[in-house]
Amino acid sequence: MRTVIISLVVVGAMLGQRAIVAQDDTGATEAVVDKQDSSTQAPPKTDEVLQGLRLTPRAFRIATERIRGSLVTIESYGGSSTIEGRIGGIRRQGEGNSTGLLISSDGYIITSTFAFLRQPPAIMVMTSDGKKQFAKIVGRDDTRKLCLLKIDDPSDLPVPEIVPADEIEIGQWAMSVGVGYGDSNPAVSMGIISAKNRVGEKAVQTDANVSPANYGGPLIDIEGRVIGICVPLSPRSQDVGAGVEWYDSGIGFAIPLGGLERIIEKLKAGENIRPGFLGVQLKQNEDGKPGAIIESVVEDAPAAKAGLQPEDVILKVDGEDVVDLNQLRRKIRKLIEGDEITLTYLRGEEENEAKIVLASSPAG
Amino acid sequence: MNDQQHGSLSQPLRRSRPSRPESARTRTQFAAILPALGWVQFGRLAFALCLVCAPLMSANAQPTALDEGGAIGSNRVFDDAIEAAQLRTVKIYGASVGRVEGYGTGILVSNDGMIISTAGVYLSGRRVRVGLPNGELHDAKLIRTDRLRQLALLKIDAETPEFFNLQPEPVGDVGDWVVTFSNAFKVADGEEPMSVNLGIVSLRTFIEARRNDRDIAYRGKLVLIDAITSNPGASGGAVVKTDGELVGMIGKLIESSDTNTRLNYAVPNDLLLDFVENRLTDDVATAGADDEPHKPAELGIRLFGLNGPRSPAYVDRVARGSPAFQARIRPDDLIISVGGQRINTIKDYQEELKRLIPGESVVVVYKRGEELVRVEMTPVEKK
Repeated sequence: MRTVIISLVVVGAMLGQRAIVAQDDTGATEAVVDKQDSSTQAPPKTDEVLQGLRLTPRAFRIATERIRGSLVTIESYGGSSTIEGRIGGIRRQGEGNSTGLLISSDGYIITSTFAFLRQPPAIMVMTSDGKKQFAKIVGRDDTRKLCLLKIDDPSDLPVPEIVPADEIEIGQWAMSVGVGYGDSNPAVSMGIISAKNRVGEKAVQTDANVSPANYGGPLIDIEGRVIGICVPLSPRSQDVGAGVEWYDSGIGFAIPLGGLERIIEKLKAGENIRPGFLGVQLKQNEDGKPGAIIESVVEDAPAAKAGLQPEDVILKVDGEDVVDLNQLRRKIRKLIEGDEITLTYLRGEEENEAKIVLASSPAG
Repeated sequence: MNDQQHGSLSQPLRRSRPSRPESARTRTQFAAILPALGWVQFGRLAFALCLVCAPLMSANAQPTALDEGGAIGSNRVFDDAIEAAQLRTVKIYGASVGRVEGYGTGILVSNDGMIISTAGVYLSGRRVRVGLPNGELHDAKLIRTDRLRQLALLKIDAETPEFFNLQPEPVGDVGDWVVTFSNAFKVADGEEPMSVNLGIVSLRTFIEARRNDRDIAYRGKLVLIDAITSNPGASGGAVVKTDGELVGMIGKLIESSDTNTRLNYAVPNDLLLDFVENRLTDDVATAGADDEPHKPAELGIRLFGLNGPRSPAYVDRVARGSPAFQARIRPDDLIISVGGQRINTIKDYQEELKRLIPGESVVVVYKRGEELVRVEMTPVEKK
C-alpha cells in the first residue's frame, strides 16, 4: 500500500513539475522550443521555461569549452603577456592581445586586421596548449577586416566546426568569445543574431558584446560551432578601425565563415583583398534628374585614367540605372580591387561608356 | 562615446510581491512529500498531492498575458533576483560637488545597517543619508574606505532584516545569468525603482594597475559581465544570480584613457566580504607578486640614453660576464620586450627592470637589423 501511495505521489509530483529537458549524449541541453515548429506547438508552461533558463548557462559553458581548444592568443610584439587569471586593462588599439581562431590542421589561423593596426615587426601566437611560436601574415581581406596567419606547428589542436551560412537564423543564440582582455581564459558574451547580410552583405549582426576583447575571435552557436569571426565594421567607412566606436553597444558584426572558402583560398595564396577604388567625388543630380554628377576626379585613379571628367553624369553602372548617390556608393562598396565595372555616362549631350578596373584605395 | 553605452533591458520594476514566486513554492512541496510513511500519514500525503497538483491547475487557471498569443508565459523568470536586489539596495545622499549631484547607490550587507558602496567625493561631506527601500531615511556614518578598490563602508542605525549575505566563496560561474540592478544615468528619479538589465558572467579575473595613474579606478579581483554596467551612476548597484545570490557590486567606472573603452564588471562577493571584515590590505596578492620586496636585479645592459628616457631602448654597452653578455646581446640591439612586457622607451625598460627578481629567468625579445630574436636570461643581483 505504501508503495502505491508513494508512486501515486511521485507521479503526481512529476506531472506538477512538467519539466521537459532533452539531453543528448554530449550533455548539451535543448530546453528551448524548436523554432521551426513554434507555430504548431502549444506554448511551454512557465515551469518548463524556468527549467530551460536555469540550464542554459550550462549550455553556454559547454559551447565555450568546445571552442576553447581552437582559440589562439595573438601578441603583436613578440613575447606573450597573457597570464592566467589576470588582465592588464584595456590597451591601445593594436597593442595588447588579440584573439585568433585555428581553422585548419595545417596551421592556418584567422583573425581580424584590427590586431595589426600598428604594423608590428613580428607576430607571436600562443595556442591553447600554451605553446608559443612566431606566425606570419599570409593574406588580408580589408573589405571584411580579416587576416590569415600561418604557424608551422599546430600540433594536434582541434579545428572547429563551421555553421553553414544558410543555417544561421535570426534570433538564434550567438556567443562572442575572446582573449583580448589578456587573461588566457576567454571572456564570453551572450546574445542573438540580430540580422544577416549587413554592411555590403558581408556580415551577420549580433547583440552579443563585440569589442577589442574578441575582435578576431569566434561568434559561436549554442553547440560551440563557429558562426563567424568578430570584427569591427561600419557601413560608413572601410577604414581598418571603423566601427570600433560601436563596441559593446548592442550592435556587433561577425563575418560568417560558412561560404567563405573561396576567399580563404585566395588569402592562402597570398592575395590581399582591398576595397575597390574608383577615384571620383560625386554629387546628386539636381531637379530629380537621374544619375550622379562627378564633382572632381582623383588624379591617376582609375576613373581619371578612363577619361572621366568633372561635370560628367554617371547614368548607369553595369547596365543598372543610377537612381541616387547612395545606391551607387553601395554598389561600388561591394567591389574589390581588380573588379571591372562598366559606367555609362553623359558628357554634354553625348552618352559614353567606359570599362574601368578598380584600383586599391591610395590610403592603404 | 558615452552615448554608445546602454543596457539591453530596462523594464519597470514590480512592487514587492506578497507571495513567493511559483517556482519556489513547487520546490518546497516536493521536498515535503519525500518522507512518505504509512496509513497514519495518508492524510498528509493526500494533502501534499493536492498541493503538488495545485500549480498544474492554477497555472491553467491563471492566464498569463502571452498565453493566448501562443508565446511563452515567461514573465516571472527573474522574480527571485529582482526581488532580492530591490529589497537590499539603497540610495545614498551626500554632498553635491559643483554640478555633480551627490547621490549614489549601495547594498545592504548586514541586519544592523552595514552598507557597501563605491568611494566617492559625495561621501566626504558632513552629512550622508541613506534611503531604505521601505522609504525610511537614516543618517549614515562612513566607517572606512579602500582606496585601491574604491570601496566605502557605511553604517546606519537601523534594523535591516533584508540584506545580502556575503558568501566567502565566489558566486557565479562563466555563463551564469546575472541580473544587474542599478541607477545607470541616474534615470531613476526620486522614489522610482532602479533599472534592471540582463547578462551573463563573462570572465572571472584580476586587473592590474596600469602605468598611467589616471587609469586606476580599481585594482583587484573582478567579475566581468556582459550586461552594460559601465554607465555613469551605475556604481554601487547589485549584480545577482537568478536565485537572488549576490555575485558582486558594480564598481566605479574603469575607463582606459588610451582607448576610451570601459569595462563592465562587478566587485566580487568574496572581496566584499573581506572588505566588510577588514581583511583587505594595500598589498594586493597576485599570481605575479609584483609588490613583494626583493633585491634589485641587473641584466648588464646599458642603454643609449643621450636622447632622453623617452627614446627607444637601444643597447649602448653590455657588461662583460653579465646575463645579457651570456645571451649575446650586442650594442645597437633594440630591446622590444622583457618578461612579456612591451618596451617602448628607456623608461619602460627601467620600470620593468625594477620588477625582475634575481635568479628568476625572463624572456627578452630584441631586434637586430630586421630580425627579431628571443632569448632567455637570468638576472643577477645588482651590486
